[in-house]
Amino acid sequence: MHLTKRRFVQLAGLSIANRIVPGPLLGQPSAKRPANKVIIVTFGGGVRYSETFAPEGLRNIPRLVELRKQGYFFKSCINSGVLSHFNSTASILTGNWQRVDDFGFQPPAGPTLFEFYRKQSGAGPMDAWAVATNKSFAQMGWSSDRDFGSPFGANVVLPKQLLLEAVQDVVKKGTEAGVANRDDILRRLEGVLSEGYEGVGWTIFQAGKKLDRQVRETLVRGLVEYINGPEAPTSGDELTFFIAREIMREFAPRLILVNFWDMDVAHWGSYSLYLNAITRTDRLTGMLWEEVQANANYKDKTTLLVLPELGRDGDQNTANGFLNHRSGDPSCRNTWLLAMGAEVPRGETERPVHHVDVAATAAELLGVKAAGMAGAPMRELLL
Amino acid sequence: MPGNTPKVSPTLQALIDKGLVDSLPRSFAAFCFDQMKDWDLLFPAERSYFERLFGLLDRTSPEVVARLFQPLREIESRMGMTEKTWPRGIFTLEQVDFLNRNRYYPEWRAAVSKIFAQLDPVLDAEITRTGHARLVIVISPSQLPADPDRMWTRLEALGKRVSIEPPKRPEDFLPLLLTGEEQSRRAPTIAHSFAAGKKGGAYSSWIVEVADGLSRLGPEGSAVVKYSYDALAPYRKRLMKDVQSVVDAQETPGPRQFSARLKQMKILASEGEFAADPILAEFARAILLSGNGTLLINNTFVEWATVQAVRRARPSVTLVGFGIRNKVKPFSSLLIYADQDATNPIPSQMDTLGSYVDLEVFYQYVFQEFEKYAEYRKNTAYLFVGDGMEEMLAIAPPDFPLMQAADAQKLPQVFGHLKEWLGV
Repeated sequence: MHLTKRRFVQLAGLSIANRIVPGPLLGQPSAKRPANKVIIVTFGGGVRYSETFAPEGLRNIPRLVELRKQGYFFKSCINSGVLSHFNSTASILTGNWQRVDDFGFQPPAGPTLFEFYRKQSGAGPMDAWAVATNKSFAQMGWSSDRDFGSPFGANVVLPKQLLLEAVQDVVKKGTEAGVANRDDILRRLEGVLSEGYEGVGWTIFQAGKKLDRQVRETLVRGLVEYINGPEAPTSGDELTFFIAREIMREFAPRLILVNFWDMDVAHWGSYSLYLNAITRTDRLTGMLWEEVQANANYKDKTTLLVLPELGRDGDQNTANGFLNHRSGDPSCRNTWLLAMGAEVPRGETERPVHHVDVAATAAELLGVKAAGMAGAPMRELLL
Repeated sequence: MPGNTPKVSPTLQALIDKGLVDSLPRSFAAFCFDQMKDWDLLFPAERSYFERLFGLLDRTSPEVVARLFQPLREIESRMGMTEKTWPRGIFTLEQVDFLNRNRYYPEWRAAVSKIFAQLDPVLDAEITRTGHARLVIVISPSQLPADPDRMWTRLEALGKRVSIEPPKRPEDFLPLLLTGEEQSRRAPTIAHSFAAGKKGGAYSSWIVEVADGLSRLGPEGSAVVKYSYDALAPYRKRLMKDVQSVVDAQETPGPRQFSARLKQMKILASEGEFAADPILAEFARAILLSGNGTLLINNTFVEWATVQAVRRARPSVTLVGFGIRNKVKPFSSLLIYADQDATNPIPSQMDTLGSYVDLEVFYQYVFQEFEKYAEYRKNTAYLFVGDGMEEMLAIAPPDFPLMQAADAQKLPQVFGHLKEWLGV
């Protein structure tokens, strides 16, 4: 059988899930559930208004500028919580400002949107996914809440961590061609999947301790095809996009978080690399929307919510400007949110919304009652 | 008084013994203790700051001091700062984490800012009374793909563009600007001259650069502090290897322990001439291991080292030499602590356009950092120079000679103005 990129996630996921999930739940919306789907896309790592929707930033995000005309734009989406990556995204997903360990040693303190959705709807594990980059995000799929937790959590995949593991191993071996030799990367990827795939973020629900041989081989083939293909990655976000798209095509989940991350290269102190990453994420977000439009499982029934996880320090800030994101100044907290979808009206508002409003809004869109959220649904999207 | 009181100067010790620090709010006192704990590794300007800060608090009536800190005390109480969560005199990553995750953190920051907003004007006035002319020259590499009118765009409104008559030999541009002579004369740079003068001395003149275009000028063995990204290559590469080993070994359970390990990675005598000076050796370690991207990107190193030098040492003459960074190779974003040249044999390529974009932001950040401090405001001449470029940007008080220049200046002429400005 010819294995395409698309097949790798398909076979991986189905092979795993078949052992534990009843067939009817596999990516098939129940007749009782509304068909709405929600995809939350975060500009993870953080991006400032000045490099995005401020007049001087528009040139960095040509795709979002075009999409804005078709969607609803919230000019002010405020992150009032802890300005770290994990807590920011956990706040988006839980609807409550999270103040847990910054390094992913603790899961979110309250139930995530994934858990509310799966518990109330009875949706299976293939119906809620988080595709992210940062290793700490392996804890993002479910909370520590005893009434919810892993039985209702999302599949969390961290594709870049898999790649990272492989690349680092090649470097350690000090081969002549280094990471330029893709065959070495290929061999190491296979090794990673044999030895420690759990450690690199694959938390796809599995019955056993080891990946099924066929699944493992398929994962290797899929990733290697990606590495050697014409879209050979220089960044993790392209891989994140690739995996997210495959998940959409094969499982058509109703709820997905896609957490792009490349722009956190700003910490390196190169403004041009930071701008390049923003433009790449803009492009990938546009491609994700194209997939929504082209995929019959998503077209006309999906709401896409795009927002920065957080901003970054302002240029006047003492903490070295765009390099960091901890000062708490307006540049760090004031971001934006763009909503797209067939039922989303066109327009924009000055009314401030908050990161915690995202989960409350998504819950409404999914027909889920989410109690105890500090956030409120964005009424502009729920007409 | 906590048992871990740092060893400080006799003046400061006397104030600590009087219970001055103990009387301050818990977080404020802890932060000060942490900053002072490696007293021997602080620059004279840092030591002076703490002596002046606590001297001011000591001179101020207890009622006024109590009023000044009362809002912070109240917020600390709301934050739940107790002896258990904030042991007296301790300020580690755990305390930083406590602050960051606390719901009252924005209010805490505001309260601290308000305290300094009242203290700083008094402290600044002391500095201003004893101020002197200072000089900052920021030099861009000749390979930048930009004409002068596309340079320093974020700062141009603050200064004056000065025409320059380029020398016949391009390689003489920097020597003539900084020494007034051709390089073969090995004449002292303006930084050397200041360091050797009566206002100079240790840590008063700094050169921070990517390569060695500035460091190689002037006589050897001077008091000028020199940090070069390229010259630090052996130390940088060892650090990357050592840090990766620590990460791989997974011996450190958390960030606090990791930070402690990093502190042990000191420069060796063979890796830099300043290794013999504990203050400068620690400065290099801190720049490379606590600065974002400083191990990886040459211009980030220069920017961060300059900013830190200003914050900590307050040099009177600072020469900053940026360069061209290399393009990032495939997969490099995954390999934070790896030497790109070793991990990928594809030859490195210069990213001239990317460097141009990076530097336009860094000029602003560097300028802003100087201007935050009273030492520099209203008495510093800034020259933004492109190596070989027929125009430079001068930001300076009106009495800086170049601000009146109408004609194109020869570089030795500019050098003469610099000497006149600094009085050397």
